[in-house]
Amino acid sequence: MKKRHRLAMLGSAALLTLTLAACSNGSNNSSVKTPKLPQTYSASAKASPKANDGTLKIGEVSDSPFTGISSPTLASVATDADVFAPGGQGNLFATDNNYKIVNGGMANLKLDKKANTATITLRKNAKWSNGTPVTAKDIEYAYEVIANPDTKSQQYSGDFENIKGMKDYHEGKSDTISGITYPDGEKGKTAVIHFDHLTPAMQYAGNSFIWGSVEPYEYLKDVKIADLVSSDKIRKDPIFTGAYKLDKVVEGESTSWSPNKYYWGKKAKIKHVDIRVVSTSNVTAALKAKKYDFLQGGASAADRPEISKLKDYQIVGKPAFAYSYFGFNLGHMDPKTGKQVTDKNKKMSNKNLRKAMMYAIDLDQVAKKFGNGVSWRANTLLPPVFKDLYNAKTPGFKYNMKKANKLLDDAGYKKKGKWRAQPNGKPLVINFAVSSSSATANATHKYELQQWRKLGLNVKYTSGKPMEFNSFDSAIQKPDQKNIDVWNGAWSLSSEPTPTQLYGQNAPYNMGHFVSKENTKLLNNMNNSKAWNHKYRAKQFKDWQAYMNKETAYAPDSFSLSWEPVNKRVKGYSVKPADGDNSFSNLQLTQENTK
Amino acid sequence: MWKTILRRVLIMIPELIVLSILVFLLAKAMPGDPFSGSINPKTSPAQLHRLMAANGLFDPWYVQYWHWVVNLFHGKLGMSYEYQMPVINLIKQRGLNTLWLATFTMILTYAIGLPLGIFAGKHEGKWQDTIIRVFNYITMSVPFFVVLVIGIWIFGYALGWFPTSGSISPNANGMGETILSRLGHIILPGLLGALFGTVNIVQYLRSQVIDAKHSAFVKTAVAKGVPEKDIYRHHIFRNSLLPIAAFAGYSITGLLAGSIFTEMIFSYPGMGQLFLNAVNYRDYTVITTLVLLYGFLNLMGTLISDIVLSIVDPRIRVE
Repeated sequence: MKKRHRLAMLGSAALLTLTLAACSNGSNNSSVKTPKLPQTYSASAKASPKANDGTLKIGEVSDSPFTGISSPTLASVATDADVFAPGGQGNLFATDNNYKIVNGGMANLKLDKKANTATITLRKNAKWSNGTPVTAKDIEYAYEVIANPDTKSQQYSGDFENIKGMKDYHEGKSDTISGITYPDGEKGKTAVIHFDHLTPAMQYAGNSFIWGSVEPYEYLKDVKIADLVSSDKIRKDPIFTGAYKLDKVVEGESTSWSPNKYYWGKKAKIKHVDIRVVSTSNVTAALKAKKYDFLQGGASAADRPEISKLKDYQIVGKPAFAYSYFGFNLGHMDPKTGKQVTDKNKKMSNKNLRKAMMYAIDLDQVAKKFGNGVSWRANTLLPPVFKDLYNAKTPGFKYNMKKANKLLDDAGYKKKGKWRAQPNGKPLVINFAVSSSSATANATHKYELQQWRKLGLNVKYTSGKPMEFNSFDSAIQKPDQKNIDVWNGAWSLSSEPTPTQLYGQNAPYNMGHFVSKENTKLLNNMNNSKAWNHKYRAKQFKDWQAYMNKETAYAPDSFSLSWEPVNKRVKGYSVKPADGDNSFSNLQLTQENTK
Repeated sequence: MWKTILRRVLIMIPELIVLSILVFLLAKAMPGDPFSGSINPKTSPAQLHRLMAANGLFDPWYVQYWHWVVNLFHGKLGMSYEYQMPVINLIKQRGLNTLWLATFTMILTYAIGLPLGIFAGKHEGKWQDTIIRVFNYITMSVPFFVVLVIGIWIFGYALGWFPTSGSISPNANGMGETILSRLGHIILPGLLGALFGTVNIVQYLRSQVIDAKHSAFVKTAVAKGVPEKDIYRHHIFRNSLLPIAAFAGYSITGLLAGSIFTEMIFSYPGMGQLFLNAVNYRDYTVITTLVLLYGFLNLMGTLISDIVLSIVDPRIRVE
């Protein structure tokens, strides 16, 4: 099922699946192969009308109740997006399999490079599940909810200020966003967004300039924007534009759905859909007992071996939007300008030292041991889900202890007693920060420490042990961090992966403070005027990945699969991005009970 | 009696104030904040700053504390950062779930524990006693989460007798169906909780019954020829109930605490998980409210226990 992916920092739970991840293709050549999974499943038997009158049962794997915010502009956790997915999340645009926006969704997008406008035209038959039409105002209202000075939404990004008048609205200086206009009036079907300039990233879903969903203005207008998030209209009786309408939500635990007769697209065939939260400890038992047709949002890597054995389930999936990485502290952030500054004389400033540390860890073995076939050694800072942009050719850091030692010797890190000293003769103690999570993740980090010590580097955990995850989060975000030299973290990207917000000079999350002319140039090239040419743009992404490996300011750790087991009575299941809008209406059942 | 209660209630006020300050300080002393862990990296630092400032998180602790207390007296407990809804609604929602499950479990626990304890005491040293004691040792030594996982696996998944997640079926409509569905969802966790939660009651009651059996007044009664039934009912049972009664007050107020294991394994949204998540995600408003609530309930529990004790045992009454 298509999910909205945001650029988000992963908490400890996600780090857990990622850091202990990796896959079993530890072959001797240095290239990295992406494990392949089918992206669709369709039972071979005929669909049964009687079965379609029954209930599609979906499990949402989570150890805590969902928060229950149905609106994508206000929600900030993935479980909410999952349990409200049958409603379509107000999704505006259809995409191809590379997440490029194409015609055919609820609205079409037209970018005019001369006028610097984006014109969004809704289908004539686009309606909310209460029968009222989706209007141009609904497109604009999503921006108002996100940018209102009193909003509780966490979605506002600096990129939105590229829209004319957005900054004034956000700061409360004006009541409307002057850069969003409606040629046919508020109730018309067309909204035009006026930008300072257009950027090639805008062609892709999940970009941070054009918001991808609508909010029902007529339905919500009586509720103050500040109160929306806790209102019944968002939590108990929300309306949707997708294939299904919400019948009932039991707060924190389940949602149930029936077909939305006002849906503009293909009509849903299965009469009822139930989504229930299932705890991580029960996933395998629940699937063995055939409680669910599939899992929304997937299960953890640790469950993969057991689930793979289930004959009545087919595993479907694709590479995840997430990757984990090692970051090296190379400078500080200037609090006055908000810009990152690379210092020449930091402990980790020597490129050879950073490279040696990476070559000393056998990421393929870690993957083999703990990855359960769900994750594998990463070779770049961009996951392979972005087929066109991912650089499969850059080798990354394949385990090579000899090379690691040589790199250090060449750079003058000579042994003084037990440990290697800095080239200037001063002792070298490297502080390694990780967030504490599962036993396997902790074991992996211990292994990493061990390998570095084998290399003669005196590496210690910052504060002596893995850090509690809130402490870890706030520690690595400090503008000038003296106690962390290297850390292990993870990111989950949106479906438009321009990495400027993570690695650019102005990026607050460039926590290793890495800045170089070449880096800035490559990042800018990804969205300059030439980048409207896809080949050129893809080349910039690939060059950037190779460059980042060369510099090793951040080094790739692991990639993973996003995967879901699907019961063999289900027809028409797909995780292909192009099937997004109809992913629920394509579903059918071949028999009354789960197989 | 009333004087005692009044005095105790008055003492509770300064206790609660001290507790609330301590809780507030400890919550704020935890590293991290509600935003930095979940923020969208595309959000500018200015936006982060704005959200923190709007929530008063940059104010010194005593200012934040003062705002919180003032709001408290206006009945406003604030908004949960994590759930983005008023804390009071969140507690109502989860509290109700927990209350259902905990009340059911408590009734079952006493219904199983009391007869077992008395029976074991009555048959001290005989095979009946041995069986009950073995049962007791087993329930005491097996970790509760193991029981839950095995229980849900056998009765929930393998046999399919009970629902395995949530507090109610999403398809339950109408009053009758709702109540039945709710009951259906708490039977298995309730029963497991009760079966494996009787240790204290059985052990206490058993030893109290045995003590009482050997005490002088019972021997006198036996010598006078009072029927065994009456001896148990009037002399032994009433005396043995003292420690159980002392427990009862705590149990009643403990009803709202919730059980983290049960809630996680049965995906049952209750107070235990709410508290754990609040701590993990630095949901200050929820943490402070819950700790204060639990503190208050504990004080009430002591009070109720004392009152119950003084009713059961006239010797304890303080005038």
